[in-house]
Amino acid sequence: MATTALRPAATYRTGAYDWLTTTDHKKIGILYTFNSLILFLVGGIFALAVRTELAQPGLQFMTESTYNQMFTMHASVMIFWVVIPFLAGFGNYLVPLMIGAPDMAFPRINALSFWLLPLSALIALLGFPLGGAAAEGWTSYSPLAQSKFSSGVGTDLWIVALTLVGTSSILGAINFMVTIFKMRAPGMTLFRMPVFVWTTLVTSVLILMGTPVLTSALIMLYIDRNFGGSFFNTALAGGNAILWQNVFWFYSHPAVYIMILPAMGIVSEVLPTFSRKPLFGYKAFVFATAGIGALGFSVWAHHMFTTGSVYLPFFSLMTFLIAVPTGVKMFNWVATMFRGKLRFTTAMLFAVGFLSLFLIGGINGAVLAAVPVDYHVHATYFIVAHIHYVLFGGSIMGIFAGLYYWWPKMFGRMLNETLGKIHFVGIFIGMNLTFFPMHLLGLSGMPRRIADYSATAGWNDLNLLATIGGFTIAVAMLPFLWNIFITFRGGEPAGDDPWEGNTLEWATSSPPPPYNFDHLPPIRSERPVFDLRHANDVPALTADH
Amino acid sequence: MGLGAKRWTRRAGFVAAVGALAVLLSACTDFNLRTALPPDAASVQGQASRNLYDIVFVIGVAIFVLVEGLILFAVLRYRRKSGDDELPPQIHGNNRLEIIWTAIPIAIVLSLFVLSWQTLNTVDAHTPTPPVRIGVVAYQWQWQFIYAPDGVRWEDCGAPANKGKCVTVFGTPPAGGDRSNWTPPTMHVPVNETVELQMHSIDVIHSFYVPAFLYQRDITPGRDQVIQFTADRIGTYRGQCTQFCGLYHQLMEFQVKVESNADYVAWLQQELTPPPSPSPSGPAGSPGAGAAAGTSVTLQLTASGVAYDKTDLTAPANTPFSILFANNDAGIPHNVSIHAGSATGTEVFKGEIFSGVDTRTYAVPALPAGTYAFVCSVHPNMTGTLTVK
Repeated sequence: MATTALRPAATYRTGAYDWLTTTDHKKIGILYTFNSLILFLVGGIFALAVRTELAQPGLQFMTESTYNQMFTMHASVMIFWVVIPFLAGFGNYLVPLMIGAPDMAFPRINALSFWLLPLSALIALLGFPLGGAAAEGWTSYSPLAQSKFSSGVGTDLWIVALTLVGTSSILGAINFMVTIFKMRAPGMTLFRMPVFVWTTLVTSVLILMGTPVLTSALIMLYIDRNFGGSFFNTALAGGNAILWQNVFWFYSHPAVYIMILPAMGIVSEVLPTFSRKPLFGYKAFVFATAGIGALGFSVWAHHMFTTGSVYLPFFSLMTFLIAVPTGVKMFNWVATMFRGKLRFTTAMLFAVGFLSLFLIGGINGAVLAAVPVDYHVHATYFIVAHIHYVLFGGSIMGIFAGLYYWWPKMFGRMLNETLGKIHFVGIFIGMNLTFFPMHLLGLSGMPRRIADYSATAGWNDLNLLATIGGFTIAVAMLPFLWNIFITFRGGEPAGDDPWEGNTLEWATSSPPPPYNFDHLPPIRSERPVFDLRHANDVPALTADH
Repeated sequence: MGLGAKRWTRRAGFVAAVGALAVLLSACTDFNLRTALPPDAASVQGQASRNLYDIVFVIGVAIFVLVEGLILFAVLRYRRKSGDDELPPQIHGNNRLEIIWTAIPIAIVLSLFVLSWQTLNTVDAHTPTPPVRIGVVAYQWQWQFIYAPDGVRWEDCGAPANKGKCVTVFGTPPAGGDRSNWTPPTMHVPVNETVELQMHSIDVIHSFYVPAFLYQRDITPGRDQVIQFTADRIGTYRGQCTQFCGLYHQLMEFQVKVESNADYVAWLQQELTPPPSPSPSGPAGSPGAGAAAGTSVTLQLTASGVAYDKTDLTAPANTPFSILFANNDAGIPHNVSIHAGSATGTEVFKGEIFSGVDTRTYAVPALPAGTYAFVCSVHPNMTGTLTVK
C-alpha cells in the first residue's frame, strides 16, 4: 500500500485556534479526556464537601441547602460529565485507530458532540452563582422536582444542561455506529475487532435506545415546571410520579452499562498485552457484552422495588440473570492472566484493581436483586457503596488503566511509572477506605442523601473512616497530576509501540499523524500487530486457535 | 507449584502492594464484624428477610473469596521474570470452560431467585383483618401517626363527629436542627399483633423505613400504600425517611415503640383522655370571643393544604394582640409560632398545636416593633412575615 501521499502537506498545527476548530478524532478525543479530567476534579471537590460534612454528627460546615446541592451536583457531574464522556473520549481516540480508519464517519458532528459538553457543564454549574444549583438528587424525582417544591433556577439549568448532554451522546452514538459498521479497514471483520471497539459499539446501541427516553423525559419535566404541564406533577390531574421513575430509569439503568462496558473494553485490551496472551474467550466476551446490553433494558425497575408499583418477580429475575454475562467476563479475564507472563506496569495494576474491585460491585449488585434484601438496604449507604464499587472501582479504575496505557500513544511520551504506582496504591487504599464502610453503614440503616445524622445511631466511626478515605483519594490524585505535568515538560519518548500491543493503534507513530496510517499491516486476526511482530516466530507459538 | 522460596521473597514488595486488598478488607471486616450483617430483626417479616440475607451473604462471600483468590493467585504465580522474553502458550479459549462458568452461575442465580421470591411472598403477605390499623401521614419534613377506633377510617378523624375518638402522634423538628434534646415522633404498636399501616403522603415522595424491621416502602403522593408487619420483640426502634424529600430530609426521623398489649392499650387510653384545656384557647367560631383581656387587634390566619393563606401580617407594637387561627387541614396539626427576625430566630411565642378542622384564638403578648416570622412548628416550610409597628 503506497499511501504516503495521504499525509497532508500542511504542518501539524497545535495552536489554540486549531484545538477550537479541529475535526481530527484524536484531538477531539484528547479534548474529551481533559474536559473530563477537569470536571473529575470539580466533582471530586463536591464529594469532599459531602464527606467533610458527614465526618461527624452535627452540621459544622454547611447548611442543608448547600449539602443538597453538593451531593446532587457530585453525582450529576461524575455521571454525565466525567465517566460517560471520559469513555466516549477513549472511543473517539481509539475506535478509528483500532479499526484502521482515517477518522470518524462524521468529523464535524464529532466536534459538535464534544463542544456541547463543556457548554452544558457550564450551564449546570451556573446554578451556583444564580441562587443555588439543582438540589433534588441526580435522580430528580417528581413531585420534589416540580416548581412548587424546587423553585430555583438551578433545576431548570440542570434540565437544559442534561438535554444538551443527551444530544451530544446521541450524536456520538450514531457516529460510532456508522464508523464501526462502514469504515473498517480491509480484513477487519466484526470478529477481528478489538474488544474495546465491541464494547463501544454495544454502548452506542444502548445510548441510541436509552438516551432519547431520558431527554424527552427532561423536556416533559421542563414543561411541568415552567408551562403548567402535568406529566409528573401529582398536584394536577393526570400527573404521575411513578411515570418519571420509569422513564428516568429506562435510560439511567442502561447508563450504568454505558459507563462500565467501555471500561471493561479497556481492561480487555490492557490485560492481554501485559499477560502476553490473547484475551481468553474472545467470542464469549463479545456475546457477554451483547448479552449485558440486551438484558440491560429489562432491569430498570429494580430501582423501584420499594415503590409498590412494579411487578417484582420479573425485574428480580432479570437482575439476577444479568450477573451471569458479567461473571463470564470476570472468569475470562482471570483465565487471560493464567499461564501468562504478567508485567505489572501501572496500567496493568489499574486493570487488576478493576477486576478485584468491580468484583465486589458485581456481587453486592446481585445481593440487591433479592427483593427482600433490597427492601432493607434500598436508598441506604449500601447502595452508595454498590454504585461506587461499580463506577469508581470499575469505571474509574478502567479509565486510569486506559490513561496510563494509551498516554504514550496520545502524546508520544511515557508517564512516569513510579509516580503511577504511587497513584495506584493511594487510589486503591483510599477507594476501599471510603466505600467499604458504606456497606456497613447501609446495613445498619443509614439513609443516603442526609446532611446530618444522630450521634447515637452508631454511625460516627464508619463515617469518619469514609471521610479519611475520601481525602486519601484526593491526595493520591496529586502524584497523577504532577506526573502529567512533568511528562509534558519532558517525558521519556514512547516510540510507536512501547508495550508490545496487539491492536492497530500500535502500528502507527506516537502520536499518530493526521488520518492515522501511512501503511496498514495485514489484518488476519484480532491481533494484527502481534501477528506482525511474531510473523517469523516458530509456527507452534503463534498457531491460531 | 515448583516455585522456590527465594523467588517468593524477591516478590515481597509487589506482594505487599497487591495484597493490600486482602489486608484492608480483613481489617475492615474484623473491625466491624458485628455490622457486616443487618440488625437483629424485630419483626416476623424482618426475620424472614434476615434469613434470606444470611444465605445470600454467605454465597456472595464464597464467590468473592473464590474469584479474588484466583486473581491473587494469577498475579503472584504468573509474574513475568526479568529477562524472560519467551512467549507464553497462546491460549485463545476453551468452550468447555465457557459452558461451565456460564451454567454454574445461572444455576446459582436461579436458586437465589426462587429463594428470594419465596421470602418475598412471606414478607409481603397480608391478612384481611389486621387487629391494629394505623394511618401514617408523611409530609415535608415530619411524620404523623393516627390511631382511629374501630369503624372509623383514619382519614375521617378530622371530622367533627369523630372529635376526641382518635389519637394523633406527630413530630416537630428539633429547635435549630439540634438533635441532642429531641425526641422524634413515636409510633406505638403492640407486640405479636399484625399491624397494618395505611400510608399517605401529602406533598412529595417519602419512604417509611425501620431498619430493625428490615423494611422500607415509598409513599408516593396519589398512591397510598398499605403494609403489614408483626413486631415480635419489645423495644424502641429508630426509623427514618429514606427517599430524599427536600431541604430538611435528614430530620424526618421517627421511632417505633413495640410494647406489650397491656402497655399499648394503656397508652392509647392515656392519649384519649383530653389534657386540661389551656385557658387562653377559646371556643371556636366567634372571632375575638376568647381573646385575652386588653387586646384590641385580632389578626386572621388560615392554614389549608399545608400552607398559610397569608404571607404578610401586621400588628401594633407594644400591645398584646390576638390571632384567630383556622386549621382547615383535616387531621393535620398546625399552629402559629412567632420568631424574632427570621424563621430560625428566637421563638417569642408558640401557639398550641392542634389538628384540623378546628380553630383557636391565640393571645400574643406585646412585642417591640420590628420584623418577625410566623411559622408552623410542625411544618417549617409554612412561614410568613409579621411586621410589628
